[in-house]
Parts: sequence; structure tokens; C-alpha cells
Amino acid sequence: MRRDELRFFLLVVPALAYIAFFVVYPAFRAVYLSFVLPNGRFSLYYYKFLEAVGLGEAVVDTIIVTVGALAVQLALALAVASLLTKEFKGKRAVSTIMITPMGVATVVAAVTFSFIFEVTGGYANSILHLFGLRGINWYANDAMSLLVVILSDAWKNTPIVALILLAGMTAIPQDLYYAAAVDGAGPIRRFFYITLPNLREFIAIALIIRGVQEFNIFALPLILIGYHPPLLTTLIYELYTTSFPDVGPSLATATILLVFILAFLVLILRVRGR
Amino acid sequence: MRASRALIYVAAGLLSALFLFPLYTLILIAFQPPKYTLIPTYPPLVPKELTLANLVAALSGTAFIDPFLKSVETATLVGLITLALAIPAGYGLSRLPSRLSYPVLVLILLTNIMPGVIIGIPIAVQFIRAGLYETVVGLALAQTLVTLPLATLILQGTFSAIPRDLEHQAMIDGANLFNRLRYVLLPNSAPGIAAAYLISWMFSWDEFTYAILLMPYHSTLPVTIYTDITRGNLLAGAAFSVVFTVPVIILTYGLQRYLKGQYISGGLKGAA
Repeated sequence: MRRDELRFFLLVVPALAYIAFFVVYPAFRAVYLSFVLPNGRFSLYYYKFLEAVGLGEAVVDTIIVTVGALAVQLALALAVASLLTKEFKGKRAVSTIMITPMGVATVVAAVTFSFIFEVTGGYANSILHLFGLRGINWYANDAMSLLVVILSDAWKNTPIVALILLAGMTAIPQDLYYAAAVDGAGPIRRFFYITLPNLREFIAIALIIRGVQEFNIFALPLILIGYHPPLLTTLIYELYTTSFPDVGPSLATATILLVFILAFLVLILRVRGR
Repeated sequence: MRASRALIYVAAGLLSALFLFPLYTLILIAFQPPKYTLIPTYPPLVPKELTLANLVAALSGTAFIDPFLKSVETATLVGLITLALAIPAGYGLSRLPSRLSYPVLVLILLTNIMPGVIIGIPIAVQFIRAGLYETVVGLALAQTLVTLPLATLILQGTFSAIPRDLEHQAMIDGANLFNRLRYVLLPNSAPGIAAAYLISWMFSWDEFTYAILLMPYHSTLPVTIYTDITRGNLLAGAAFSVVFTVPVIILTYGLQRYLKGQYISGGLKGAA
């Protein structure tokens, strides 16, 4: 490193020190403390009874929510981004309306959707009623509860995915579309043979950013469905509040969540690398 | 061609309705008596009778003002801490060659991967020992984790856009780093710095996970809304939510320029 480079690097050091102190150290400490008993002995004790408190279910539910939310968000975001590449009257208004959920706190979004999916006095049922259908108990079973979480999360986070995909779509040269249109490819073929392949990089970025956040999804399920069915994050929080000041059980669950996040990252990077 | 035009407008209308509908229902609940919202099996989708009673009831007394002030204090502090770290970092990164700046930037962005529920717990344990538990300073220090990556990215972009010649010129005229900062760099980067501050403010205003782990008892507005809802104070929760959301929506629309896909994905493009 040259001398002037070193000077500029020193300016970055406070931020790096902060990250070391508030991210790296606590993360290692979380993993370490999950293997150590209060008397200082290494043990798998905290991991042994996790199965009894619903770890398996939490893992499965977390994967369902992550995959489901990513699928819904990608589909919706592709629609929104495709729309915003077109020129039409009122486009600015639509693109402003589209980012509305980014200005709504997760807690507020969760509260709002808890009103919408209420069994009595719920607006989702009002809409069904409008079409002459009967109201539904949106929390009738675990699968429905998870669906409620997935849909609410999709509303909150589709804009971010749409913005990323839009950045990708505007980077695709228009000539490709003209050439394909001249060759007789319709809009659907153009979408599958030009838009999607050229978006691969951006879809991967959106999947990484959102996928990690989906594993971490916390406020939304906590408010919408409480601790049941459990997700890894709500299980961590439940164990934390119920067994405090013994943080061992919650940190053991946290370590498992960490392993899933790292595995997800490796998976995405390998798929993309091909 | 006519048909596809119509299709565009139908899609635009449907998607706009989809994005606005939840807020619309929240407003219906906050500004109507419960007999038109929470009580009927199928609450009407159009407003029947408007009232400010819910809002007045929820906002009078200390139930609102205390968490509101906590939120304002925390968000203001988070903005300041973030700038204190991100201005030098963003400037340094903008002047480093990419072989050095790139890995550092990726490292800073990777902090967003670490879930708040995981690192929040060891941080809570440390904060209890250090006397930072249930304090605005402690919470602000933790919430800066959420804001630092995007703020650094925005400021790196801002400083990169300032021509180095301008700085060289000032250096030839004898300006030291402090004077260059004061007369050349800061005036030219004011919009970027303002955006980074406001975005940090907004992220803190919305933040829930660290707030509930590190300040569970006398907390910020998001945690208060959560406790209201779980205790069945639904109308108070709805009223707080509306008041809480208005400034953020205005900020979001105002900052639209900075909430671009290029920014959100910027640091990851190519690195991923």
C-alpha cells in the first residue's frame, strides 16, 4: 500500500472498527456461548432440547416462507418493472405509488395486514364478500398462517426487488427487442428469450438481498401469527424472553439460523457461478 | 397496438390499487368509529362516517409522547453516528483504487446479512454489563448497523462525483485537509450527505428488532405499537401507525431519487 493510499485507508478504519465491534465480535460470541455452559464447560446441552421446543417445525416453516415470499416477490416485481419500462401517461405517479411500501415501517405493515386478514372485521373478507363469496378464517391452519405472512411480506418488499430488476431492464439494449420484433418474436417470446436471460445477474442480486432478509423475517410473523407456527427468528425470540438471563437456548437456535443463511449464500453463488 | 395500450393502463391501475389498498384500510380504521371497522363481519370498503375521536384519544396523554420522543432522539442520534462513520469512510473509499476499496465495501455491505435477532442477543448481554441497556445511546449504536452500509455507498458515490482536480487546485492554493473538507468537499457533497442522513433517520424510525431486544420496556414507537396491538388496544395501534407513517411516506417520496436499484444493488453487482 502506498503512503497516500494508507492515508485514505485510515479514514475507513473507524467504520471497520465499528463493524468488528458490533457485528463480527457479537456473531462469534453468539456461536461460542451456544456451546458453553454457565460453568464454562463445552457442551451440546443447549442443542439437545431444541427439538422438543419445535426446532424442526421452525426450520421447515422458515424455508417455506423464504421460498414462497421470494417467488411471489419476483413474480410481482417482474410485472411492476416490465410496466415501468413502458412509456405511458401517469407513469411517474405509478412509480411513486409503487415505492409506498418502502415508506411504511415493517411494524405498521404487519399491523395493517393483521387488520386486513382479521376473521371478523377483516378487509380481505370484505373483498370476498363484494364478489359474493363467504369470509375465510385466514388462520385456519399452519399453511394458511404462513401464506398470510408470505403475502404481507410480499407487499412490503416487492418494491425493492422491482427497483433492482428495473435497473437491470433499463440496461438491456433496446436494439435487441427491435431485432427480435423484426424476426417476428411476440412480447411473450421476447420476455423469455431476451428479458429474463439478460436479467440473470440482477435476479441473483435481488435473491441474495431479499433471501437473506427472508430468513431474518421477524417483526412481521411476530405480529401476524405470534409464536405459532414458529419460524427460526420467532423461536429465538421466544426462547430469549422465556429463559432470560440464560441465553444459551436462543443462541443455539441463532447458530442454526446462521448456518442456514451461510448455506443459502453459498447455494446462490454456486448456481450463479455456473 | 391499441389493445396493448389498454392492457398497460389496466396493469398500472391494478398494481397501484394493490400497493395503496393496505394504507387505505389503515386510514379507514384510524378515522372511523369502530362500528364501521372492527366490529362488523364484513367492514364496508368505503368510508361511512369520519371522526378524529380515535386519534385524539390515542394521542392525548403520555402514552404517545414518550415513545414518540424516544423515536425522535434515537433516529437523530443514529443519523449523526452514521454520518460520523460514513463520511470519512465514503470519502476514503472514493479516493482508494478499486482493488482496495472493493473488498472493504463488500465487507461493509455484508453486515446487512447478519440478522438482528442473532447479534442483538450478545449485544444485549454486553449492554446490560456496560449500562447501555434501555438507553437511547445504546440503541442508536446498534441501529447504526442497519444504516451504515447504504449511507457509505451513497457517500462513496457522492464523493466520487467530485472531480479530483478541484481538490488538487485547493491543495496548490495551500489548503490543508481540513480546509479542503470545509470549502471544497462538504459544500459539493451536501445533497448526498443530506440524503444519507435522512435515509439513516428513516431506517432508525422504522427499526424494530434491535429496539425490542435492547430497549424492551420504555421503547420507541414501533415497539409501542407492537405492545398495543398484542394487548388489544387496536384503535390506539391503528392511530399511532397512521401518525407514525405520515412523515416516513413523505420522506420516502422526497428521497425517491436515492432509492434506486443501482444504489441498493450497487455494491453487490459483479461481486455477487
